[in-house]
Amino acid sequence: MIQPVVHITNLNLKYRNKPVLEDLCWTINRGENWLLCGASGTGKTSLAKAIAGLTHSYGNIAISFNPHSSLPAMVYYVANWHQFKDLEGQSNFYYQQRYNKQSVETTATVKAELENFGKQHALQFDDIDGILEALGFSGQKNATLIQLSSGEHKKLQLVKALWLKPQLLILDLPYNGLDALSRQNLNTLLEQITKSGTQLILISNENELPACIDHFALIESGKLVEIPAGEHNRNELETLNRPVPAFLSDAVAPFSSEQIIKMNDVNVSYGDKQVLKNISWEVKAGEKWVLHGHNGSGKSTLLSLICGDHPQAYANDFHLFGNKRGSGESIWEIKQRIGLISPELHWYFDPSATVWQSIVSGFYDSSGLFSDPGYTKKAQADELIRYFGLEEYKDTLVNELPLGKQRLALLGRTIVKNPELLILDEPCQGLDQQQTQHFNSLVDELCKNGTTLIYVGHFESQIPTCIEKRILLENGEVKSVKTITQKTYTN
Amino acid sequence: MSNYFNTLPLREKLNQLGVCDFMDSSEFLDGVNALKGKKLVIVGCGAQGLNQGLNLRDSGLDVSYALRKEAIEGKRDSWKNATENNFTVGTYEELIPTADVVINLTPDKQHTAVVNAVMPLMKQGATLSYSHGFNIVEEGMQIRKDLTVIMVAPKCPGSEVRAEYVRGFGVPTLIAVHPENDPEGKGLAQAKAYCVGTGGHRAGVLKSSFVAEVKSDLMGEQTILCGLLQTGSILSFDKMIEKGIDEGYASKLVQYGVEVITEALKHGGVTGMMDRLSNPAKIKAFEISEELKDIMRPLFQKHQDDIMSGEFSRIMMEDWAAGDKNLLAWRAETGETAFEKTPAGDVKIAEQEYFDNYTLMVAFVRAGVELAFETMVQAGIKPESAYYESLHETPLIANTIARKKLFEMNRVISDTAEYGCYLFDQACKPLLADFMKKVDTDLVGKNFNEGKDAGVDNRTLIAVNEALRTHEVEVIGTQLRKAMTAMKSIKTA
Repeated sequence: MIQPVVHITNLNLKYRNKPVLEDLCWTINRGENWLLCGASGTGKTSLAKAIAGLTHSYGNIAISFNPHSSLPAMVYYVANWHQFKDLEGQSNFYYQQRYNKQSVETTATVKAELENFGKQHALQFDDIDGILEALGFSGQKNATLIQLSSGEHKKLQLVKALWLKPQLLILDLPYNGLDALSRQNLNTLLEQITKSGTQLILISNENELPACIDHFALIESGKLVEIPAGEHNRNELETLNRPVPAFLSDAVAPFSSEQIIKMNDVNVSYGDKQVLKNISWEVKAGEKWVLHGHNGSGKSTLLSLICGDHPQAYANDFHLFGNKRGSGESIWEIKQRIGLISPELHWYFDPSATVWQSIVSGFYDSSGLFSDPGYTKKAQADELIRYFGLEEYKDTLVNELPLGKQRLALLGRTIVKNPELLILDEPCQGLDQQQTQHFNSLVDELCKNGTTLIYVGHFESQIPTCIEKRILLENGEVKSVKTITQKTYTN
Repeated sequence: MSNYFNTLPLREKLNQLGVCDFMDSSEFLDGVNALKGKKLVIVGCGAQGLNQGLNLRDSGLDVSYALRKEAIEGKRDSWKNATENNFTVGTYEELIPTADVVINLTPDKQHTAVVNAVMPLMKQGATLSYSHGFNIVEEGMQIRKDLTVIMVAPKCPGSEVRAEYVRGFGVPTLIAVHPENDPEGKGLAQAKAYCVGTGGHRAGVLKSSFVAEVKSDLMGEQTILCGLLQTGSILSFDKMIEKGIDEGYASKLVQYGVEVITEALKHGGVTGMMDRLSNPAKIKAFEISEELKDIMRPLFQKHQDDIMSGEFSRIMMEDWAAGDKNLLAWRAETGETAFEKTPAGDVKIAEQEYFDNYTLMVAFVRAGVELAFETMVQAGIKPESAYYESLHETPLIANTIARKKLFEMNRVISDTAEYGCYLFDQACKPLLADFMKKVDTDLVGKNFNEGKDAGVDNRTLIAVNEALRTHEVEVIGTQLRKAMTAMKSIKTA
């Protein structure tokens, strides 16, 4: 009899003394490819890490590789976030460090990193170009790791996994941050490697899945429950009907100038590589924009200029809130008016802050809390904690929570000061469908009061309804600017 | 030029050594106003120069960089750092005459040359800022009387200065105004504004003097920070090899051990570090560190005496004049030690194991921190200054050892620190020879608790705890650490 590839019996896993998995059993037979879906915080990542041997658990996990396969007999896990290291093996990077140029390179190039990985696993270098091409990563070969965005790091990990073709591959939220074309190509590549013998466990709540997925499951009360195909994305979620806190819904967003952003002929280059070319864009108070573009089109760089995070703003004709950049304003005066969430911000957020401290830190635009907020701010933060259903995690460190809950805390931080400009760069990464709906209705509510919005999202289904204008970037240039009349978005 | 400190009468020496005021946050309510609209020109664009400049600009100040013509024409790293971040860069002749504040962030050794080049170009009534007082205090540089001379010294590497700023915090900073050069009385206001510009005001600012900064900084770096960490590391490694411990394991334990051990020091002081040991190990570490303190006290005192009298600077500057003869010889010698040449083994060492198997280093660190602190305070330096220059900086230096051993530590620290470190190391090793003969693998290399009964005598333990907790470095440290609420943990291992 052929052994099942994964045979889990009575798996128990606790997190901070709270049971996450309880007597979970799961059998994955040879040739099966599974989707693991479901609400945030049910233990998907913990289970994946347990199978990959990356976390401690009780119970039995038996893994039997195929002795006749030429593929590496290993479980390879691609995390939802990837922490890269510098040449000395350290990970002491800070928020937006990649925009502060230092002449001494402290991280390896993508090419060197891949060569190293290839050597380690005795892989053929001929195989990799197709993968890089499909994921739109060919242009990044000479980039250093510090220059990559969090989404690009994620892609690099996917590239490695697809190149390695392990016998069992676990991908945790692989589509986060990927543009539509990359997602489609990833699915094609996944179908290819499963045909050649790799088996897949895919953690995701997306609808567009590779055709090879033939089993569906979610975790309920610590146990694995197999569900019928097609059930994984049924949309009968109850909507959360919590009222928007009054201090947000009743307040009219203050705006200091009719013109929120005005940039003229903006150019940004890193060495020979031009990332933004002749960008001109104007955002007026109260407008709701969506910023679209493929991975690497320059969206993050453009937003970092707006948020006071990019030194090249000083070299361009760039006006924020009516003032030219570099005319004596501090970045803290700019940040005071902006509510920002982005993958980068989440990635580099202070790991030693609790949920409550993280939300309150939004009043000060700091990563972590260093000031005593006083009565009113405390009360407002508490209201938001209730709104997001985070009461029981109030004093928990953010980085000890599952990704979705972490994200909710940081979304609370983004809006707590009711800023005049909201910049939401993939705000719903890691959220489940119910949380996404809940957050979007909040955004719509805030926008009724005159808040200016810039929204970035690769998933059409996640975009709030209030959007009225769209700017599309392609290879660092403005491809089109248009007013949206019907609610149709193309990416 | 003659040593400035030695020209002072005793009264004034004590007076300047004793300047030490931990500033209240209300002192910074004026923000960057004292520098708003002023032209800040930074000389030098290395790690401190670049990162401080990025912060100052992001705080709304007008920052540009003056570099030597050769650096600009040769497109050296300093030129790249400044231009790639879109700063205006020019020669001294182009930028200095327009500057309201000239910020000298070049290495110590270049200060005399830089200041001599810059001073004649500076406009009447401008300000010259330093981040270290060696040039003023030890070399006795005389600054034009119309110029204001200040010091702003962030107590962290340049990259941390930037990292903490962008997250809305800052790094602890020391500021000073040179009493011989404050003709308009604006020095302190400008130094405070500078501090706000780099974010330092959020993490605790110590008002010091040029004299106190130099005399305490030299003492700290020579003895506990670099000197003793180097000596302790080398002796520990050699002992393990002598006793047959696997060399890969020994190398890893020593390389990363200081970092893990001093991480506990950073958060909880000497007490916090000692509390990581089991009770029997703590008592043992206490006893041997008492012994170490007795053995090394005369050496610590000699270093402090030579620093105070100017003897240390004199011989070091002689070595500068001799083309760094001693420095280079000692550097080469350090590169040849067995520890330096043995790569860390591919073994997993758990965090607690670094304490249990490296009790000797815990004892070294406790002895060194307390001795350096005590010796400085006895010499007239205030406890707050002594704390910063001993305990506070130890984890930062330990982090450099974790990166690439002693080579990296000596590369990163200033030449002045490196010279002093070797001087200490040369004298300390023979001093500890007899002590080291008694050391066995229970103190370094193996778990101290192995095969031992965990019981201790209550009264002994209470006495040890009492002695640790009431030491002045702990009392002042507890207060100062509260002000640095959000120290980020640095981790390598």
